[in-house]
Amino acid sequence: MMLEIGALRYQFPGADPEIMQFDLSVAAGEVLSLIGPSGSGKSTLLNLIAGFLKPDSGHIHVDGEAIEHLPIAQRPVTIVFQQHNLFPHLDLYTNVALGVDPSLKLSTEQDQLIEDALDSLALSGLEKRKPGELSGGQRQRIALARVLVRERKVLLLDEAFAALGPAQREELIVLVKALVERKKMAALLVSHQPRDALIASDRTAFVQNGRIIALQPTRQLLEETDLVEVRSYLGSL
Amino acid sequence: MTQTERSAYLVIAILAVLVLAPMGGLLSLGRLPGFEPQDLQFWQSTYIRRVIFFSLWQALLSALLSVVPAILVARAFALNGNFPFRSLLLRLFGLPLVVPSVVAVMGIVSVYGSGGWIPLGRSLYGLNGILLAHVFFNLPLAVRLLLPLWQGIPRHHWELAEQMGFSGWHRWRYLEWPAIREGLPGVLLLVFMLCLTSFAVVLTLGGGPKSTTLEVAIYQSLRFDFDPVQAVVLALLQLSLCLLVAVVILKMQKLPEVEISISSPASESRDYRSLLNRLVILVAGIYVGLPLASLLIDALSGPLAQVVTNEYIWQSAGKTLMLGLGAAVLSVTAGWFLLGASSQLANRGQLRRARLVEISGSIIYVVPPLVLGTGTFVLLSDYIDVFSWVYPIVIVINAMMGLPFVIRSLGPAMRQNQMRYQNLCSSLALSGWNRFIFIDWPLLRRSIGLSAALVAALAMGDLGVIALFGTPNTATLPLLIYQQLGAYLIPQATATALLLLGLCLLVFWIIERYIGGKDDA
Repeated sequence: MMLEIGALRYQFPGADPEIMQFDLSVAAGEVLSLIGPSGSGKSTLLNLIAGFLKPDSGHIHVDGEAIEHLPIAQRPVTIVFQQHNLFPHLDLYTNVALGVDPSLKLSTEQDQLIEDALDSLALSGLEKRKPGELSGGQRQRIALARVLVRERKVLLLDEAFAALGPAQREELIVLVKALVERKKMAALLVSHQPRDALIASDRTAFVQNGRIIALQPTRQLLEETDLVEVRSYLGSL
Repeated sequence: MTQTERSAYLVIAILAVLVLAPMGGLLSLGRLPGFEPQDLQFWQSTYIRRVIFFSLWQALLSALLSVVPAILVARAFALNGNFPFRSLLLRLFGLPLVVPSVVAVMGIVSVYGSGGWIPLGRSLYGLNGILLAHVFFNLPLAVRLLLPLWQGIPRHHWELAEQMGFSGWHRWRYLEWPAIREGLPGVLLLVFMLCLTSFAVVLTLGGGPKSTTLEVAIYQSLRFDFDPVQAVVLALLQLSLCLLVAVVILKMQKLPEVEISISSPASESRDYRSLLNRLVILVAGIYVGLPLASLLIDALSGPLAQVVTNEYIWQSAGKTLMLGLGAAVLSVTAGWFLLGASSQLANRGQLRRARLVEISGSIIYVVPPLVLGTGTFVLLSDYIDVFSWVYPIVIVINAMMGLPFVIRSLGPAMRQNQMRYQNLCSSLALSGWNRFIFIDWPLLRRSIGLSAALVAALAMGDLGVIALFGTPNTATLPLLIYQQLGAYLIPQATATALLLLGLCLLVFWIIERYIGGKDDA
C-alpha cells in the first residue's frame, strides 16, 4: 500500500468532545473517493494528510515512511482545492512553475517539464494568459498541470471539481484517473456527488461524524448498501 | 511560532516600551520639582474642572452634530445610486481624511471669519469654531463609515420590500434601521474619541481658557506655563478618559469598516431618486467643499508668490516631507508584521489572540499623542535635550498615530489573502522573500500604497507633537502656519496652508499611484 493512515485522531480546538479518527489505505494508482454529509470530516482528513492540521495521534505513512512529522512543503503530497488554486495576478506558466521551484529559478529541464505538462493537458498556447481569462474547467486543468510537475506520490482533491458543470466534471475526473494510474499516485477525492465516485473510484469510503463508517466497492456502497446512514445520505431510504 | 509572528511580537514589545516608558514618566510625577500631593486633587481646581467639562461637552456636541446629519447623508448616498457627480461628491467626502487640521482651520476661518463669505466675527473663536471644524472632519468620516451598512442590505430585501409595497417609513423601520443600529454607537463613540483628543483645531480656534480642552491645556502647561506637574496631572486625566471610551468601543466590537480610499465605493443600493435626498447631499457637499474652495481663492489672491519663493518655507516643506515619509515607512512596516501575525493566528483558529495582536496597533487611541509627548518630555528632559530629538520623536509618534489607519486599510486585504492562499503557499513551499515578491506584494501593493499614502499625508499635516517639541529651527509647515496665525499674518498663513495642502495631496497621489500601482488582484 502506498498511503496508509492508522488511528489518526484529531479534535478541533474548543470543539465538543467528539474526536475524529481515521484508518485508511490507498494503493498506488488508485483514486479512493470520500463521500459523506457536510462537516463529517472529509476535508479535515485531507488537511491532516497535507499538514495544514496537526493530528493529536496516529500515523500517516507513504510507501512505509512516516510523514506526519514533516513540514507541509516536504510532504510527498499535492492538493487541489475547489477554488483559489491559482494566483490571479500571475500567468499560467508562472502558476505552474511555482510548483517546481518557488524562487522561479528554473533549469532547462524544468522548463521542458512544465511545457510537457501543459501540453499533456491541452493547455499549450495559453501560457501567458491570466487565470481570470480562462473558464473554470481550464483553471482546474492548470492546477492539474502543477500536480504533474510537482511529481508527488499522493494527490488530494478537495471538492476540486464541485464548481464545474456535469460534463466538465466528468471529463476532468476521467483525466485525473488516467493521470493517477499513469503516475502510480495514490489519490483521495472528496466529493458531494455520488456520480463522481462512480466515475473515479473502484472503492469509496463513507464518512460521518469524523469516522469512516463504510469502505466498499463504489457501486456496492452507492447502490446496494443496507447501511441506514448511507441510504439516508443518498436519499434512497 | 513563525518568523512573522516573532516579528509581530517584537513590534508589540517596541510599542509597549514606547507607551509604557512615557507612562512611567507620567507616574514618576512625585520627583518633579514643585510637586505637592494636593496637586493630584484636581477636582479642587476650578480651571481643571472647567477644562474637563469643556473637553467632554465639545466632544459630545461634535459627535452628535457630525453623526446625526451623517445618517441622513449616508442614507441619501445609499438610496441614490446614479445621480450626476455622486462619485465626485464621495471623493470630496474622502478628502478631509488627508486634509491637515490646520489647513481645514484656515479654510474655516476663510469662510466664517471676519471678511469671509459667512462672517461670524469673534464668535467663530471658541465653541462655534471648534464645532464647525470638527463637523467638517467627522461628518464625511461618519458618512463613509455608515454607508457600507446600507450597502450591506441584500438586494433581494429591497426587492421584497418593493413587492410588498413598503412605504419609506416601513423600509426604514424594517430594513435600514436594523442594518445600521448595531454600527451606530461605535461610529458615535469613535467620533467622540477623535474630538476628545483633537488638538490642532482647539489650539487654533479655541477661545482662551474658557474654550480649552485637556489636550490643549497639557500643551499650554508645558510650553507656556512651564508647569510640568499640571501637564502630567492633565495627561493622566486625559489618559483615563480615553481608556474609558476605548473600553466601551471595544465592548461593542461593531465598528464598521471604513472605506478609506478616496475613490468611490460601488453602490449596490436601489435607486430611489428623491429630490430631498439630493438636497441633503448637496448641502453636506457645500459644507465640506466651501472651506477648501474659499481657502484656494484667498490663497491665490494673496501673497502666494511671496510664500513659494521663501527659502525658509521650502526648508520647512522639506522637513514636513521627511517626517511624513519616515512615519509612513515605519507605520506600514509595523502594521505589516502585526497584520501578518494576526492573519496567521486567525487562520489557525486562534481568534482571540489574533484580535489582541491587531488591537495592539490601535494603542494610540487610548494614549493620545500629547499624553505620549508629555510622558516622553518628563522622562527624557533630565537626560537629553528633547528639543534636539524632535524628528525621531515626531516620526515615531506619528507612525503610531498612523498604525490604526494601516490596520484598517491593509487588514481586510491581508486577511483575505491569507485565507485564500495560505494553504496553497504552504504546500508550494512559498515563504519569506519568495512569497512576498511573487504573491503578497503584487496582490497587496494597492492596499500598501493606500496605507502609506494616508499615513504620510496625516503625518505631514500633524500639528500635535511637533507643537510640543518644535522650535523655529525645526518648524514643519503646520507649525509654521500656527506661528503665522499667532502673529496675525493671516494671508501668509492661508498661502502656506495651500502649499501644505498641495504637498499632502501630491505625496498622497504619488505614493498611491507609484507604490499602489494598478490593481493586480
